[in-house]
Amino acid sequence: MNIYQPHLMRIVEITDETADTRTLKLEFKDPAVAAAFQFSAGQFGEYSAFGEGESTFCIASSPTRKGYIECSFKASGKVTKALRRIGVGDTVGFRGPYGNHFPIEEMKGHSVLFVAGGIGLAPVRCAIWNVLDRRDEFKDVTIVYGARSVADLVYKRELEQWAQRDDIRLCLTVDPGGQTPEWKGDVAFLPKVIENHVVTAEDTYALICGPPIMIKLTLPVLAKLGFAAERIYTTLENRMKCGLGKCGRCNIGSTYVCKDGPVFTAAEMLKMPQEF
Amino acid sequence: MTQRFLSHADLGALVAELVAAHTRVIAPVRAKDDARQLDYLPIRALADAALGVALPRRSLKEFFLPPTEVLLSYRQTKEGVEIKEVPTQAQPQVILCASPCDAAALEVVDKVMNWEYRDELWFGRREATTIVSLLCSIMDSSCFCSAIGLGPDSSRGSDVLLTPVEGGYRAQVITPKGEALLKDYGSAELSAAAEAGAEAAQLAARARVANNAPAIPAEFSAWLAENFDHPIWKTMALRCNGCGACAGVCPTCHCFDIVDEHESSEQGVRRRNWDSCQMAKFTLHASGHNPRQSQSERFRQRIQHKFSVYPRRFDEILCTGCGRCSRICPGGMNLPEILGELMALAKSEPEKSEGSGQ
Repeated sequence: MNIYQPHLMRIVEITDETADTRTLKLEFKDPAVAAAFQFSAGQFGEYSAFGEGESTFCIASSPTRKGYIECSFKASGKVTKALRRIGVGDTVGFRGPYGNHFPIEEMKGHSVLFVAGGIGLAPVRCAIWNVLDRRDEFKDVTIVYGARSVADLVYKRELEQWAQRDDIRLCLTVDPGGQTPEWKGDVAFLPKVIENHVVTAEDTYALICGPPIMIKLTLPVLAKLGFAAERIYTTLENRMKCGLGKCGRCNIGSTYVCKDGPVFTAAEMLKMPQEF
Repeated sequence: MTQRFLSHADLGALVAELVAAHTRVIAPVRAKDDARQLDYLPIRALADAALGVALPRRSLKEFFLPPTEVLLSYRQTKEGVEIKEVPTQAQPQVILCASPCDAAALEVVDKVMNWEYRDELWFGRREATTIVSLLCSIMDSSCFCSAIGLGPDSSRGSDVLLTPVEGGYRAQVITPKGEALLKDYGSAELSAAAEAGAEAAQLAARARVANNAPAIPAEFSAWLAENFDHPIWKTMALRCNGCGACAGVCPTCHCFDIVDEHESSEQGVRRRNWDSCQMAKFTLHASGHNPRQSQSERFRQRIQHKFSVYPRRFDEILCTGCGRCSRICPGGMNLPEILGELMALAKSEPEKSEGSGQ
């Protein structure tokens, strides 16, 4: 079998998250492929709009939700713009799942802090629902999510659902200037919000995704709170083509993001050449 | 390994029979656009080949990883998308009088092509191909195969290795594929004179390349990793134009891009095209962020990938010392010189450089 051959998937639902960010819900066309498909939270795939090419996104839905996958993307390049033009019932290509995953099993019996910025909530959301769908296996769950403005917050319906649950602590924030008169969350940069709301690192795993600058400013805050670098997990989002370790594009030193990642601990990232 | 004697007539008869059976035979021939240069091209008869003249301009890479190839074709209608697969089995072909460095490169690249996921397009062509190499006698000052642990008489990646002797060749049969190719040709008897002649030719060839560059020590890959942030990278890359010509002619550079091309509103193809880490867009994120913004960072990636990343991942140097990158570089960058400079630095500053790591 040619490893570059995608499976065909049908778009069954489209959700516009923001003015330029969209979520596609996809089902495999071939029932045999659908039945055999398995993945873990944090893994990614190559999604194709035929005629335009392939693009790399994480799987944004949880492996506990069977029968479909979701991906969320910002229309910013050729492929993502094409994926925005097509509608429900249309066909896209998918190769995957590729890469490693979040340590969900290792996190069992511990508390979890989820931190996400902007569309970085997509890979974190996959892990959040994975944990929430098995809620009694984990201790405290805290979610800190921020975006540049209220309009840039993604998965708004789910943010409301999470806000109403009493078994999660949810802290939402927007950057100064991004608030609306109705906004009830914080108005501050994300690292500050973590400092204000997260009390302890004890017995807690941190999963954090967002733009490089957010990660860079958040890691020292988590360290100050007492998080060991081995307990902080993030994903790296290097440009990829094959996803299979062949095309030579995503490496950071001898680390291949597609094969060794995309999930890395802060400790692993500190050891890499700082070229990401 | 067995040995045979092949006369020039035997080799000519082998080519004639292969061509008659519609097997593609590829050999170094005079380039159509420049008679001083050679290309690996299909031949109809042994007389078409130019042997022992020069290293062909490009390596054998393109016969296994073509500069552009179709990965699939698609047809898009109202009912959905149909994908037409491409065959992964290839037509049999024989490469005759390959340069040993070019044959060795294929085995080096096999490692990444078989890394967890097997690239069936690459291996389909590898399996369908028999490679007959010829002892190299055409080295110049850019060659440094012996520094990599290869040599002008290396049989690595070859099914048969030919060494010129009086009246023909000593044929060393390395693999069952080579055995199958030669079983009806030449004689199993190799005279003592032919044997002695072949050994003398080997020694003479080795001596001609041995002093071009010092051997690369095993600890060099670790030193490169430790010295990722050494200031030398900035000054070293000043002459680099970032044109990527080095990657095109390199027998081991295998980086590629995947793109779709419309043929009409309904149908088109997905292609894999050669790409190079020397291009600024190679690592450019959709957000505009680029982990390798300057040419010095992209040049460092090329050296690090070949002499540190690949050795640490696959226990192989991603280079065969063929020297093509030095011959083609418009900026006059010379890889054996660059390696010499880095190895001298590794000797004088064995520790991690200031500012390394973070």
